[in-house]
Amino acid sequence: MKDIAIIGVGLHPWGKFPEKPWTQMAAEAAREALGDAGIDWTDVQTLVSGSQLWGGRKGIYSGNYFAEVMGETGLPIINVNNACATAGTVMSMASMIIGAGQADIVMAVGADKSAKGFFPFLPVYHQEPIPSNDTLRWQMGLPNPMYWALECRKRMIKYGVTDTHLAKVKVATSKHGALNPKARYRKEFTLEEVLASPLVTDPLRLLEICATSDGAGAVILCSMDKAKKYTTKPITIAAASVGSPLYGDPTTRIPVVSFTPKPGVPIISESAVAAKRAYEQSGIGPKDVDFVEVPDNSSWHYLQYLETMGFCGEGESHHLLESGETMIGGRIPVCPSGGFSSFGEATMAQGFAQVYEMVLQLRGQCKDRQVEGAKVGMSEVYGAAGNNSAVILKR
Amino acid sequence: MTEVKQVPIGEGLFTVVDGEPRLIATHCKSCGDYFFPKTFTCHNPKCKEKQVEEVKLSRRGKVSTYSTMNYPPPPPYVAPEDYKPIPVVAVELPEKINIIAMMEGCEPKDVKIGMEVELVITPLYKNKNNEEILCWKFKPV
Repeated sequence: MKDIAIIGVGLHPWGKFPEKPWTQMAAEAAREALGDAGIDWTDVQTLVSGSQLWGGRKGIYSGNYFAEVMGETGLPIINVNNACATAGTVMSMASMIIGAGQADIVMAVGADKSAKGFFPFLPVYHQEPIPSNDTLRWQMGLPNPMYWALECRKRMIKYGVTDTHLAKVKVATSKHGALNPKARYRKEFTLEEVLASPLVTDPLRLLEICATSDGAGAVILCSMDKAKKYTTKPITIAAASVGSPLYGDPTTRIPVVSFTPKPGVPIISESAVAAKRAYEQSGIGPKDVDFVEVPDNSSWHYLQYLETMGFCGEGESHHLLESGETMIGGRIPVCPSGGFSSFGEATMAQGFAQVYEMVLQLRGQCKDRQVEGAKVGMSEVYGAAGNNSAVILKR
Repeated sequence: MTEVKQVPIGEGLFTVVDGEPRLIATHCKSCGDYFFPKTFTCHNPKCKEKQVEEVKLSRRGKVSTYSTMNYPPPPPYVAPEDYKPIPVVAVELPEKINIIAMMEGCEPKDVKIGMEVELVITPLYKNKNNEEILCWKFKPV
């Protein structure tokens, strides 16, 4: 893929902001990104915006409502919805627009105010002759963490992953998150505290499942030749790929009520596909990556993604965790931002928290959570219904 | 006392054959794969012919993975006030398709991988219209 630069990033802190419209949160993130790039809103030539699940029609047409508060300029607005993989997909779309020569400066933006607790059912207003999987599974009482638990159980039995390993994931991510001023949860948890938290969907505990948050982020993308005008240190988008599942995926994937594994098809195949595609786009391999932001929706995700993204062999991720090599200072620091575990997930905006962290790390601006000498960072976001996106950034 | 009306969770999902509850699925005669809920075509991207038929799946299978819903599920599921944790399983049927469902007739601690279970059609919850919603579940054999 043609090299595209990131010249500005902005991130609203994650948390719960009931008094604040999401358009305001997005505008604050956007102003930070524009200031970081040293450009004006009127310089932005195209807007790609993450749509929302929870915001009704305003959320679906998020880019239009966002542009209204920023000041309408007639620029092309594209609203994108790929479930929780939306932000990564927005990055991919924005890169394609520049790559195709349609614009030199594109803003990628996303904001979300997520539902509290278990994500709720969204009503369907038309009748299908057979109810969809998603309608069925909500009626059957199967929220998202149930799917992760069913998959986690398989991992425990197959590879000998224990309760303690699952709890150690939270200990690790919370240690990083405690150092991040943009994170919502900044407490360092002990193993005992995590193990004392209640089981929600056995074997996953409350502290091993990410909370739901409000958040917003914005990224200014620019063609590489124009980027030099704005910064002496552009960050390069080496890859921004999108993946979808392979037939015969063995995963208990949200929102299925049945699955038929086929030989040779990997777990979370959509994520395996996106990672492979990102490595192919960039010519970068797992060994070249200095740190990774995985979508740690739960402890299971943290362990699974290290294998899916190729940072260790199948069934080895809990050993990698135990070795300490996933901490800042280790071989492959995982979620130096603190991850979803420390942010809580603001669904459509979540990938922007990863991109923001990667850009700051690559610029060497992360102070006490800096991955020393980081040159290449990678992230992946995991979305319901088999959505995925992988991003590789380098300096 | 008002009579409680029983309503299936959806149309075309299950039926009773010779007194035994069975799930309704689609079988592709061309490639051999099964799909549940039933569908109008074969989903196998490599299958060219896609000659499909409606079939009933086997009633018995083996637990391939499990968990417990320790908290009351969110709406539209209607949890009783005295909610007790419910085991949830994926069950592999002889057709090689895995079906996800709640378990009844056993405690969460009793569920094991490989245990033999059979399909039942049973009330899931009572909705605000005093209707019992019927769904498939599994129970130990």
